Amino acid sequence: METLTIKETISGVLESTLEHTNFEMHDELTAKDVDGWDSLSHMIIITKIEKAFNIKFKLRDLNKLKNMGSLVSVIQSKI
Amino acid sequence: MVFNSIKFVVFVLPVLFLYWSFFKKSKVAQNVLLLASSLFFYAWADWRFLFLLIASIIINYYLALKIRKEVDDEAKQRRFLYIGLVFNVGLLLYFKYFNFFYESFVELINVFGITSSYTTLSILLPLGISFFTFQTLGYLIDVYNEEIDPSHNFLEFSLFVAYFPKILSGPIERATKMMPQIQEKRAFSYELFVDGLRQILWGLFAKIVIAENCATIANPIFNNYEDQSGSTLILGAFFYAIQLYADFSGYSNMAIGLSKLFGIQLMRNFATPFFSTNISDFWRKWHISLTTWMMDYVFTPLSFSLRSYQKNGLIISIIATFVLVGFWHGANWTFVFYGLLHGIYFIPLVYSGKMNTSEIVAKGKFFPSIIEFIKMLLLFILIMATDIFFRANSIKEAINYIISIFSDDIFSIPQGLFNSNYLITIFLIFIFFFIEWNNREKKHDFEINNYNIFLRWSSYVFLFLLILFFGKSSETFIYFQF
Repeated sequence: METLTIKETISGVLESTLEHTNFEMHDELTAKDVDGWDSLSHMIIITKIEKAFNIKFKLRDLNKLKNMGSLVSVIQSKI
Repeated sequence: MVFNSIKFVVFVLPVLFLYWSFFKKSKVAQNVLLLASSLFFYAWADWRFLFLLIASIIINYYLALKIRKEVDDEAKQRRFLYIGLVFNVGLLLYFKYFNFFYESFVELINVFGITSSYTTLSILLPLGISFFTFQTLGYLIDVYNEEIDPSHNFLEFSLFVAYFPKILSGPIERATKMMPQIQEKRAFSYELFVDGLRQILWGLFAKIVIAENCATIANPIFNNYEDQSGSTLILGAFFYAIQLYADFSGYSNMAIGLSKLFGIQLMRNFATPFFSTNISDFWRKWHISLTTWMMDYVFTPLSFSLRSYQKNGLIISIIATFVLVGFWHGANWTFVFYGLLHGIYFIPLVYSGKMNTSEIVAKGKFFPSIIEFIKMLLLFILIMATDIFFRANSIKEAINYIISIFSDDIFSIPQGLFNSNYLITIFLIFIFFFIEWNNREKKHDFEINNYNIFLRWSSYVFLFLLILFFGKSSETFIYFQF
């Protein structure tokens, strides 16, 4: 799947969970940069991403996520 | 040895002088001095457990290296991680919880009609064990998750665990934040040094003025709660809630400020938690080093494994996490119940989806809106209720305390309200929160470097005089028992 399509899907998930669009999708984006993306909302976002791409993460995948770029590449490796 | 004692000042001043004079040439010299001072400090506080601390440092140091060495063999890596978990959690279980589980077990079999008497073991609690075991646990898990590289320098790792400003009562530091600072030579920064002094002054004020004065009112009320009117009991709970906060945040500010004098920045532990409009916001600001630890190492794995249950999975994870937060404080059902109540407080937030709203109240304004004020007040009352469990010796006592509040005399005038010590304490609390409110957007409660020189020095002198006139000395902190 195209990186751009993946990013668009993630962006949609963030928007529906956090109820705002005050973020710009780029590879260096981290959860800290996005209002409301904390450890509580993180799990809801992860579950929605799993559903959207029909994939399953491992806990260790999650721990390795550093920024948007790494999230996209983990998703790509699982599709 | 507490920070606000003459003994400690006599200990720390020569160390500080040596650190910035003869030992400032290299990071190794700086680290050697800090480690030697830390071990001395710990031994002075309680020499019997110095060997336990050293053993914990050695074992965790080698386990982390082993975990990384087996990077190609996940099964082996996991085995070393499990050894680490069993060791660290085992230490905590044995020293802190053994008698609790033993007593609870015997009481349970008594319920089933098997009478059994028991004698508990006299196990002494090593100082700071809840803090340093959590720090080493976090370190091992981070190495396993490849979030950090293990330390290959035994001196630096030992200092990371034993560093004296935070060994007894936190903050529970993370290797990601603290290790890089130890790995570099610290250069003297005047701004950081002065900021550290300010934070120490503020911590002293919180501890020996606010917490101690609240304690003199709350203690007699809690100790004889059966004889008090409902309104007096409310007042007792109010003063205890403030005492608990001022005691621990005061300690934390002193620890963080002290560390700044050595050029090492520890993590913030309290960020004006009573200026919160919901429970989730409160826990982002209260004992932050413990909460973020629990979030990363308990809540995240738990909620991950329960994610298919969606919001219910989230609620179970939150409640389990907070029960553990409570239990971390001590081997008593009161703490378990304290955590349980906090977990339950989250339920409406999870269902309404408002969990993530975390903002500084009335940002950029002086007054909060009426709604914000009511929310803060309601939250304070909810917290106050849980603090009764935190303070009581048993759940039965806490429930009796709360039942006694709702007696006929709940609307009577509390006993002694117009005594001078009540009025003075209320006045001091007002000053305390007034300053906090003004600095709620800053990095700490007394970061006043933007004030002009006149206002700055008036603030120092003012706090100093308050400490001089209203300070009460105490040789202990509530959080030392944890």
